[in-house]
Amino acid sequence: MPACNAFGIDRSNGSGMISLERVDPCVHGLLALLIDPRQAGSVGLADWDKIIRLARQSRLLGVLSYRIQSHPELLPQLPECVLGHLRSAAAYSAHRIQILRIELAALAKALPAEIPVVVLKGAAYIVQNLEITCGRLPSDVDLMVAYSDLKRAEAALLDAGWSGEVIDAYDQRYYREWSHELPPMRRPGHSVELDLHHTITPVTARLKPDTALLFADLQVVEGERFLVLHPQDQILHAAVHLFQDSELFANLRDLVDIDGLIRTHLHSESDWQALAVRAARHHLERPLWYALRYCRAWLATAVPDALPLAAPPAAAIRWMDWLFPRCTLPRIPDRQPPFSRRIAAQLGLLRYQWLRMPPALLLRHLAHKGLHSLRPRPAVPNKAE
Amino acid sequence: MIAANPRIRDLPPSLLAQRFSEASVTLDYGAALVRVRTVLKPFVRDFQRVYGAFFLAEKADFADFHIEVCSGKGLRAILGPQSRFLIDGIQPFDPFPREQALPHFEWGVNWCFGQRFNQHVLLHAGVLALGERGVIMAAPPGSGKSTLTAAMMLRGFRLLSDEFGVLCPRTGQLWPMLKPVALKNRSIDVIRAYTDEAILGPVYGGTRKGDVVHLAPDEASVDARRLPARPRLVLFPRFREGAALTTRRLPSEEAFARLAFNSFNYGLLGRISFHAVADVIDACSAYELEYSRLDEAIECLRAMLSESTVAMAAA
Repeated sequence: MPACNAFGIDRSNGSGMISLERVDPCVHGLLALLIDPRQAGSVGLADWDKIIRLARQSRLLGVLSYRIQSHPELLPQLPECVLGHLRSAAAYSAHRIQILRIELAALAKALPAEIPVVVLKGAAYIVQNLEITCGRLPSDVDLMVAYSDLKRAEAALLDAGWSGEVIDAYDQRYYREWSHELPPMRRPGHSVELDLHHTITPVTARLKPDTALLFADLQVVEGERFLVLHPQDQILHAAVHLFQDSELFANLRDLVDIDGLIRTHLHSESDWQALAVRAARHHLERPLWYALRYCRAWLATAVPDALPLAAPPAAAIRWMDWLFPRCTLPRIPDRQPPFSRRIAAQLGLLRYQWLRMPPALLLRHLAHKGLHSLRPRPAVPNKAE
Repeated sequence: MIAANPRIRDLPPSLLAQRFSEASVTLDYGAALVRVRTVLKPFVRDFQRVYGAFFLAEKADFADFHIEVCSGKGLRAILGPQSRFLIDGIQPFDPFPREQALPHFEWGVNWCFGQRFNQHVLLHAGVLALGERGVIMAAPPGSGKSTLTAAMMLRGFRLLSDEFGVLCPRTGQLWPMLKPVALKNRSIDVIRAYTDEAILGPVYGGTRKGDVVHLAPDEASVDARRLPARPRLVLFPRFREGAALTTRRLPSEEAFARLAFNSFNYGLLGRISFHAVADVIDACSAYELEYSRLDEAIECLRAMLSESTVAMAAA
């Protein structure tokens, strides 16, 4: 299966890009800069105008800033206004990361020492001090404990001042029975949201990794209270999160994370082989396959041609190639999105729901939410950016 | 012979409206360029008055912010017309009544600076200058800061900003962020009575801050919008009805704390803002000033500025 082994990328055109109809050339410009920031010196001002907007929309301006500023020799070539936005994004990211560290320190104090607690995603990259954290905008803290520890961990947090968002009985049940996490919690007056998980995908979802395997290979980080997933599980978690637990909308950042994790954690041919084997043990081959396909096409990730990884059916790949770029890549929002992008956004949402729960449950869930939306509810203030 | 670029007040309203509808209006605030698109007529009308001394930048390749002011959707456009503020297609807060599109825009642009302009220390301060000698006036809302700022511009100071004192942490310079001065409630009548020369926009009643009127920046300030100033004087003004003019020289540590905590992003910038604010305090004398008569306060301030400059030269 040559197409499968090469992740279906036609490299004959030299760019390795999956055909992206009607995508703004500046999206290519953004991807090219993420791959090779040394090109920054040759970008014109009008392109910067768009690239900065696209990067910000993808929550990647800080990452782009870090990558460019890692080449100090470039900086004198850049216009002052561009440097300003790069510096601003770097400062904002550093601030958010600092806030997250403070939150993690508070959590470490609040949680009983005898409960093993795993930190996931962005906060895990911070705890491990990975370079991919630099410039990244972490959103919330995701922690995971064994299901048997969930009640105790929750009680300890409530005791220490965290509280759940006020949600109705149905939503409570949704989280507690069908989801993989408790309703989000927060300390009053603090901006960071906390999701307490007991596994990494919803219990009702199509693809479910082997939770026992996840817990069996947890890693200790020197000098830290929190554990992290096995490096390969970190990659697989990011992949299943993007391709199953997200609406695919404006998710380029998640792909950049996967690329970064691969560059951080995989160093040899045997690491790659082990990743493929582990994906099979977790039944997460398909999300990994897609992740590798788009990482290689858009971010020039050095994915080996021959991996023991089963490819999705050709029709599924075509469908994803249509859907994923339209949902995930940023666009300049000055005009209405084209029809195909609006359809793609709806389909991305539908796909997300479809993969999240079995059809009967989904029907019931949508019926409940539909009826619920007809009831008058108190106005909720708009959430600032 | 090339005609000089006309000021916004000299443009035919229909041309201005057309440029706005094509998103080819780029406003130069000094520290930032803002591209604006709108088809809202009340906005264009009010804008032309309070931004009268500004220029339309020729086709600019780059803008720091891309903003659209538009009307509500569907039935909303007819019943209780609204103005919505979009930055990069995102609506960060609730719409305003359409007649208040301009204050909505002013408020929204401030929000954008506050959120996305962290390459600078953003002081919550009025900044004015004589030549390149800058005065930073920081004070909590309600202390008469905007009124004094407005009066100083009307008495020949160059206005750099009313709301956002933009301090560049790399050069220590103050950059203009030149916007109309928002006068609230009683200060509206104070400025009306102060001089006939003030160009004021319409009164917007019943906003979140009560009545608001915008004072247009003057030509000299607009023409110098790309000229930074050096901080020379830090002032914490306080208006008190009937008070005799009093000043109190502040010790550095007190001035530092009061200026730092009058900043929008002091905490966010951490060490960067600590050093920048400390450098300002080193370079300036700092005073608390209580006043009730504007001209008296301004004369006192001029004297302080020359003293501080002499002191700097001697040092």
